[in-house]
Amino acid sequence: MAVVTPDEKQLIKGIVCDILELESDEITDDSLFVEDHDADSMRLIEILSSLELNLKVTIEQSELSRMVNLQGVYEVVGNTAR
Amino acid sequence: MSNVDSAGSGLAIVGWAVTSPFGIGRSVFSEGLAAGRSTERAIEQGQGPAGTACLVPEFDSRAVLGKKGTRMMNRVTGMAVSTMGDLLREVSGHRLDPDTTGLVLGTTVGSAQSTIDFTRGSLTGERPFHVEPGLIPYAVMNGAAGQCAIWHGVKGPNATLAAGRSAGLLALNYARRLLLTGRAGTVLCGAAEEYSVARAWISERSAGNDAPGAVLGEGCAMFALTAEPTDEPPLATLLAVKAMTCSDGDWYATIRRCIEQTVAAAGVQPCDVWMASPSGAAGAAGQAERAALGDLFEVGDRLVSITELVGETHAASGALQLAAVLGLAERNPESAQRLAVVTSTDESGTVAVCLLRLS
Repeated sequence: MAVVTPDEKQLIKGIVCDILELESDEITDDSLFVEDHDADSMRLIEILSSLELNLKVTIEQSELSRMVNLQGVYEVVGNTAR
Repeated sequence: MSNVDSAGSGLAIVGWAVTSPFGIGRSVFSEGLAAGRSTERAIEQGQGPAGTACLVPEFDSRAVLGKKGTRMMNRVTGMAVSTMGDLLREVSGHRLDPDTTGLVLGTTVGSAQSTIDFTRGSLTGERPFHVEPGLIPYAVMNGAAGQCAIWHGVKGPNATLAAGRSAGLLALNYARRLLLTGRAGTVLCGAAEEYSVARAWISERSAGNDAPGAVLGEGCAMFALTAEPTDEPPLATLLAVKAMTCSDGDWYATIRRCIEQTVAAAGVQPCDVWMASPSGAAGAAGQAERAALGDLFEVGDRLVSITELVGETHAASGALQLAAVLGLAERNPESAQRLAVVTSTDESGTVAVCLLRLS
């Protein structure tokens, strides 16, 4: 299984924080986007799309169900073909 | 030529709010108008072909509304949401029912900038679907009206009316219909237009030969109209709104007929009209508008033209004219129970007129 590098994690966290309008210390690897950070489906799509643009990867929309927190996003990105 | 609507009983205007090149709020707007202060300023290099514009000073959606929910919000939505917030604070004494409060917002195309940015992203990205999804809600025409309702929790009918310079007055007419047919108890109604590089270039490239190089302005004005009884006397009563189409190029005839029918529909006399505001359109339409108002009414120096001060504000123009009439009347004790007329013309041929009784 591929892994995401610390640099990539930093980039991913930056993207998520920007879209969820959070400071980096307001989010943890386990805090939930929807339940803890008031994200709606539009925000989740924005995260997916922004990751695709910035990391040059393709993420299936079915993966959204795993992208509930940063840890989930790291795993999904780690599994994409790069 | 076609009629859109005629008059019924008057509707109370119980509040208004404005964001203009004079700044945020009613007092700076009324003071700036009364002083005849121009708001035309130089703009930064690359911000448009004209070199100058009348911008809402230092307006920034995130600074005005906070960082939550504003990341992708464009300027026109920021102005509309902020102005509506000011309006709701002003009418807080009326205890609006969110379920029966409607919203009508006039526009030209929503945000030309957001629409073009989204399209450009699709054309220049690696794949056509590599677009910024956060832009979508704002790249559609009704983004601003939708965000206003979501932000402020207004759940009644929500309409976006795209009609260029006529949008403000046609939005009033739409609000009248919602109220007179019982589809809403109160309607928050107005119009907004943002300055953007995209709009500046569209304006520059589409300007007719008789109206080159208008200085662009921006802003938003919103009004609270109600059909329900109010505890306090209203700020003004909307007596009639009419719209016609000038299809033969004879602006004067259409404008004059539209004004005469509006006055007749309200059952008042032209000699009782005390204040008037033409749209200040450039070219033949604007000249005909002034001529018709001058021939029909004796308003003296109470002819309120705001375009020279706040620029060509397109969709926001009619709403800003109405705001100007209310703002200047407020400062003049003689305005009580007098009549005022606001007129508008759009290059597409639309002529719109509204008549109100000041309080």
